[in-house]
Amino acid sequence: MKGLLKYLVLLAVVMLVAAACSSDDSDSGTDTTAAATETTAAATETTVAATETTAATATTAAPTEKIDIDFWVAFSDESRLGFANDRAAEFNEGHPEYNVRVTSFASYNDVFDAAILAVDSGEPPGLIHFFEAATRQALDAVDGDGNPIFKSVTDAIAGRTEILGEPVVLDSVVDAARNYYTVDGSFYSMPWNTSTTVMFNNMDMLNEAGITEPPATWADVETACAAVMALDDAPSGCITWPNHSWFVEQTLGQQGELLASADNGRTGRATEVFLESDGMMNYLEWWKSLNDAGYYTYTGLQRDWDGTSNAYLAEEVAMLVYSSSDTTFFDDNAEFTNVASFMPYDGDVDYVGNLIGGATIWMLDGMETTTEDGALAFLNFFSNPANAAAWHQLTGYIPITQDAVDLLESEGWYDESPNSKVASDQLAAAKNTPASLGALLGNFVGIRDVITLAIEDILVNDLDVATRMADAQAEAQKSLSEYELLFGG
Amino acid sequence: MLILGLVVAAVLGPLYVWWQNDNPTVKRYGIGSAVAVIGAAATPFAMGRCAFNEGTSGVDHLLAYSLMAGGAWLALMIMQALFDRSDGKKSDSAAMTGEIRTGGFRLGWWVPWMLLSPTLIILIWFLYLPAVQTFTLSTKLTKLGAPKSVDVCFGNFTELLITDPWKLVAYPLLAIAAVYGARFWLGRSERGTWNRKGAEVASMFAMLSIFVAMYAMFSPGGGGQVAYRPVYLNTVIITVGIVAFGMIGGLAVAYLAFRKIRGGSLYRTFLIWPYAISPAVAGVLFFMIFDPTAGIFTHTMDVVFGIDVPNYRESAVLAQSSIILASGWKILGYNILFYLAGLQTVSTDQIEAAVIDGASSWQRFVKIVLPALSPITFFLLVTNLTYAFFEVYATIDFMTKGAPAGKTSVAIYEIIRIGVNNGDLGRGAAQSVLLFAAVIAVTVWQFQTSGKRVSYGGS
Repeated sequence: MKGLLKYLVLLAVVMLVAAACSSDDSDSGTDTTAAATETTAAATETTVAATETTAATATTAAPTEKIDIDFWVAFSDESRLGFANDRAAEFNEGHPEYNVRVTSFASYNDVFDAAILAVDSGEPPGLIHFFEAATRQALDAVDGDGNPIFKSVTDAIAGRTEILGEPVVLDSVVDAARNYYTVDGSFYSMPWNTSTTVMFNNMDMLNEAGITEPPATWADVETACAAVMALDDAPSGCITWPNHSWFVEQTLGQQGELLASADNGRTGRATEVFLESDGMMNYLEWWKSLNDAGYYTYTGLQRDWDGTSNAYLAEEVAMLVYSSSDTTFFDDNAEFTNVASFMPYDGDVDYVGNLIGGATIWMLDGMETTTEDGALAFLNFFSNPANAAAWHQLTGYIPITQDAVDLLESEGWYDESPNSKVASDQLAAAKNTPASLGALLGNFVGIRDVITLAIEDILVNDLDVATRMADAQAEAQKSLSEYELLFGG
Repeated sequence: MLILGLVVAAVLGPLYVWWQNDNPTVKRYGIGSAVAVIGAAATPFAMGRCAFNEGTSGVDHLLAYSLMAGGAWLALMIMQALFDRSDGKKSDSAAMTGEIRTGGFRLGWWVPWMLLSPTLIILIWFLYLPAVQTFTLSTKLTKLGAPKSVDVCFGNFTELLITDPWKLVAYPLLAIAAVYGARFWLGRSERGTWNRKGAEVASMFAMLSIFVAMYAMFSPGGGGQVAYRPVYLNTVIITVGIVAFGMIGGLAVAYLAFRKIRGGSLYRTFLIWPYAISPAVAGVLFFMIFDPTAGIFTHTMDVVFGIDVPNYRESAVLAQSSIILASGWKILGYNILFYLAGLQTVSTDQIEAAVIDGASSWQRFVKIVLPALSPITFFLLVTNLTYAFFEVYATIDFMTKGAPAGKTSVAIYEIIRIGVNNGDLGRGAAQSVLLFAAVIAVTVWQFQTSGKRVSYGGS
C-alpha cells in the first residue's frame, strides 16, 4: 500500500513536469489542429456559400488575417474615448486588412509605464497617447538593448503625401503645435488633443459689477474683482484656476521667461531649471496677493480641474482660467453668459506668448513595414480635416491642422460659437521664441509637482514666496540633475 | 584585507574553543559566536561593501553596522532553530507527535514539501522574489525606461535621516533605556501603591519616547535631505486616529447593537455595510459631503444655518480629521462584525453572577466583557493597523491629495507619489522597505506586549 502510494505520487509529479515542459509544443499542436478545423469549416462554408452566388464574392474577399494595431489612449471618459473608438471603427471599415484596437488607461503615466513594460516583454502596442510635459522622457526612453522606443513620425512618413489612400496631414499641422513638438529638427509625434489656457468669464456677474469687457491684464483682473466682491450678492470668490504647473509655465511664456537652460531645452539638453526667476516671482507674488485679498479661490487640492470648474459653473466665482479643452462643455453647461477671453497677462511686461498643452500620439519603433504603414495611415486619418474639426467641436481642443480650421470657417462654426476661436487666436498671437514654446526637460512631471506643492504651501500657510521657492528650486534641480545622470549623454 | 583577516581570526577563535572544549555549553557558545561573526561578515559582502566606499558619511557606516548586527542576530536565530531541531529529534515523544502531525512517518520528508509546492512557488515568484528585488532596488537611483541606473548604496535611506550619526545612535538607545528603566521600576514596585502608579505613568512615557526618538531621527528636510519627519508625524497621527476611532467606535456600536432590539438583525446588517465599500469610494463619499463648493454638508450648513464651513483641505487638523473619519468609518463595519461575533462568546453566567454581586453595567463591561474580548481586540489591532498603514492611499488621493501642503501625506501615499507617479523607483523602494520594517516592528511589539494580556480562554 505504502509503495503504491509513493508510485502514484511520483507518477503525478512526472506527469506535471512533462505537461509543463511540453506545454509550448502541445499548445502549438492544438493551434494547428484548431486552425485545420477552422480551414475545413471555412471550406464547408465556402461550398455552402458557393451555392448562393451573391454571397460567394463577399466570402472570398474577406482577408485571411487582419493586422492588429494597438492604440493606447489615456482618456477614459465616454466622449473623448468614444471619439477614439469611433474613428478606429471607421478606419477598420475603410481598411479591412487592419484592425486598430483602442485600449483605455487612467492617465498618461499609466499608458507610458505600461508601454515601457510591454516593450520589455516583447509585445508593445503600435501607438500610444502621451502628454507634452513628458516629451523629453519619451525621446529618452530606451528598451533593454538601449534602442529608442519611439520612432519619429516624420521619418517614418519619409516624404510620402499619401499612405494607403489616406492623405498625409502632418504638413498642415498648425505652427504652435508643430514648433512645440519639433525636437532636434524632427517632428516626432502626431499632435492630437492640443489646447492652451483661456479665461472663461461669467459676463452676467461682471456686467452687474459694471465690468463690460473680460479683463485682459492682471491689473484689469484686480479692478474687476474689487467690483465683483463689492456686490451685494457677492460670490465667495472672484477668480480661480487649478494649481497646476501648466498655468505657471503659461505666465512664464507670456513674460518671455525661460524655465530651463539651453533655451528651455530647445537647443540642447536642459540641465538647469529656474524656479526663482523674476517672472516666476512676479507671477507668484501676484497670485498670493489675489489670494490674500480674498479674490482668488483655492479649492485646496493640487491639479484640481473638477473643483475649479464646478466653482465656476456654480457661480461661486466670476472668472475661471482653464484649459480651452472644455470650451464646448462650458458653453453647453453654463447657466449664464459664458464668454471666453485670452489668459490675463502682466500689462507691465511685454507680452511674448502663450504655449500649448495637451498630448500627441507616439509611434513605437520596430514594427514591420506593413504594420507601420497601417499605423501611419490611421494617424493621418485620425487627424484629417473632418475628424480634427469634429474633435474640436466635441471638446474645444484647437483644430490641429490648418485644413481643419479652414473647414470650420467655411461651415460658419466660429460665427456660431465665437468662444471656440479664442484658443487658436491666442496661440496665433504668440511670438515664436523658446520661452513661448515651453520647456522640454527631464523629470518634468516630478518638477511640476515640486512647483504645485510649493504654491500650495505659499497659499495655504502664508509663506514668503522667495524663501519657499528657494527650497523648491533646490529640490527641482536635484530631480533634474538625477534625471540627466541617468538619461543624459 | 585587514577587515577580512580580523573576520577570519574571529571565526577561527571560537571554533578552536569549540574544538578543544568538551563542555556542551561552552561548545555552544563557541559555535554560536562563530556563526554570529560569519553572519555579520557576510552582510557587508552581500551589500557590496559600498557603505565604506569613499565619500560615504558616518550615517552610512552606522546603517552598515546595524545591518551587520542584524545579520549576526539572524545567523544566531537560524543556529538556535537548528539546535532546537536536533534536540527535538532526541526526544522520542516530540518526534512522534511531529511525525504524526506531518504524516512524515508514512511518506518521505519530501512529501509535505511537494504538496506545499504549488503555494510555495506562487509565494516565491509573486511575493518573496519581488520583496528581495525591492531591497536591491532601494539601493539604486533608477527610473522606468532609463538606459542605466546608479548605485547609491544607503543613499536613499540616509537622505531620510538626520546627518549626525551620534544623535542617530543616542536617540534609540535613550528610548530603549527609558523602556527598560520603566520596566525595572515596574518590577520593583508593589501593586496598588503610589510607587506603582508612578511606574505605570513612567512606562507609558517610555513607550511614547520610542515614537519621539524616531521623530527626532528623521530629517526635517533642507540641505539635500528629504523632509521625512512630517511624513512620519502624519503617519503616526493618522494611523493612531484611524485605529482608535475604528476600534473604540466599533466596540461601542457593536455593544449597543448587541442588545435585544426590534429588527436587530436587519439593523446589524446595515452596520456592516461600510466594510463592503472600497477605500476609494469612501474617499469620494466624504469628499462629496465636505467639499467646500459641492459638498452636501457644507451646502446645508450654509443654506439652513448660515454657517460658513471652512475648507477642510486648508487646515491640517481638519484635513487629518476628515481622513481619519473617512477611513475609520470604512473599517468600522469590519470591527463591528468581529465584536458582534465576540460578544456572543462572552459568558452569560459570569455576567449574571456579577449582576447578583451588584456590579454596575460599567463594571461588568470593564471587568468581564473587555477581557473576554481581548483575543478579538488583539486580532483587530493587527488588521486595523495594517489597514491604516497600507489601504488609505485611495481615500487620501480622493479627499486631499496630501493637502494642505503635505499634511495628510502618509508613508504609503508618499511611496506611491514618489515611486509610481514620479517614477523614482529607488526612492519608492527605499521608503517601502522602511514601511515594511515599521510594520514588522509594530507587529513584534504587539505580540510581545498585548500577547501576554490576551486571554483565549481554556487552560
